[in-house]
Amino acid sequence: MPNPDIDGAVMPLPEALRALPQVAPAQSAWPQLAAQLAAKGARDRASPRRRYYIPAAIAAGTVLAVVAGALLHLSPQPSALSPQVATVSQVPASSSTNAANTTNATNPQTAADAGEQLAALQQRSQELEHWLRETSRAAAPLSGQDLAAATEIEDMIGMVDMQLGAQQSNGGLPLWRHRVALLEDLTVLRYSSYSLAASGLDAKALIPTNSTN
Amino acid sequence: MSEAFSQLEVPASLIDRARAGELAAFEQIYRRFERPVYTLALRMLADAESAREVLHDAMLKVFQRIDQYRNDAPFWAWLRQIVMNEALMRLRRDRRFDVDAGAETDEIVDGDAPPWVRADALALERALGKLPALTRSVLWMYHVEGYSHPEIAGLVGKTVSFSKSQVARGTARLRDLLAPVTEHVSCRIQTSMAL
Repeated sequence: MPNPDIDGAVMPLPEALRALPQVAPAQSAWPQLAAQLAAKGARDRASPRRRYYIPAAIAAGTVLAVVAGALLHLSPQPSALSPQVATVSQVPASSSTNAANTTNATNPQTAADAGEQLAALQQRSQELEHWLRETSRAAAPLSGQDLAAATEIEDMIGMVDMQLGAQQSNGGLPLWRHRVALLEDLTVLRYSSYSLAASGLDAKALIPTNSTN
Repeated sequence: MSEAFSQLEVPASLIDRARAGELAAFEQIYRRFERPVYTLALRMLADAESAREVLHDAMLKVFQRIDQYRNDAPFWAWLRQIVMNEALMRLRRDRRFDVDAGAETDEIVDGDAPPWVRADALALERALGKLPALTRSVLWMYHVEGYSHPEIAGLVGKTVSFSKSQVARGTARLRDLLAPVTEHVSCRIQTSMAL
């Protein structure tokens, strides 16, 4: 009896791989997921989140206010955010790409400068997070691709946070830069197709130039 | 493209029910995608426990973000992307982004049927599991999930030529890993025929 696998046309690797059987986990993940979702549902019901239907113009105004505030805070302090930050962020596709790779070696700084930089980055990080949190209440759904990208960026922020948690108390400047850059990426992603488009504004243009160029 | 994923369309009404927080709708989505999600994670990670964790984490993410999902792209594509990201993130975190730098892309001898033609599924799975994690993932993304080399390069944070070389090396390694198995099998067949 002919064996179609052997006697037939040579099976290409993609077909052989696709022909591998699907596998089920030894233990379903559903019970755990159901418990987590039920707990979340209960929390949501206990403290229902208000739905804000902020008009696009108001959301865009919020962006401007936050960004302007950040610019006022950061721009007059070239020493607070050193040239490396600008260098890091001059990659237009993603400001986070090389952020973690920068070092202080090319521009030696005093401990005070480093402290100032750290404080500025932490504040910027807080501002961006606050802005994302507040405006997300009125956010329109993202496309599948954008949503996947946003999820990945959030994961990467989680990774940075984990690394920051393991850092010595006086370190972490490159990680904070990376965190801010990731938050900026997320900001652009979240709102470039949302209210800013509706109001004729470009989200990328609203991100501080000293951090995203 | 993975048939397992692309064949699983989700009715808009089911997504709407999940958006409304209906647990039964979440469960239906989970049941529908449990196997393809777990299989994809397992193929990339080659570790059952890690694959189950990816299944859990990816599903949780999807359910938590389903109110942000817009129906302009297939649900399965969105889910698959999240699974892929979760698996790649785990490889990075576990420092398994090593590559098969030593393996050379051997010349393929024309006329010889590739060993996966004769190898059974178990042998192919085993051989796949022996590849370096990143090589295996790239191979799977390219051959099974249908990602292009530029897309893979973007996902793994490497160059297009890196993706191409991993596919070539992975294929060559699979050939090497499967060759002794098939030789062994054919010896056994010959022995049994002689008896």
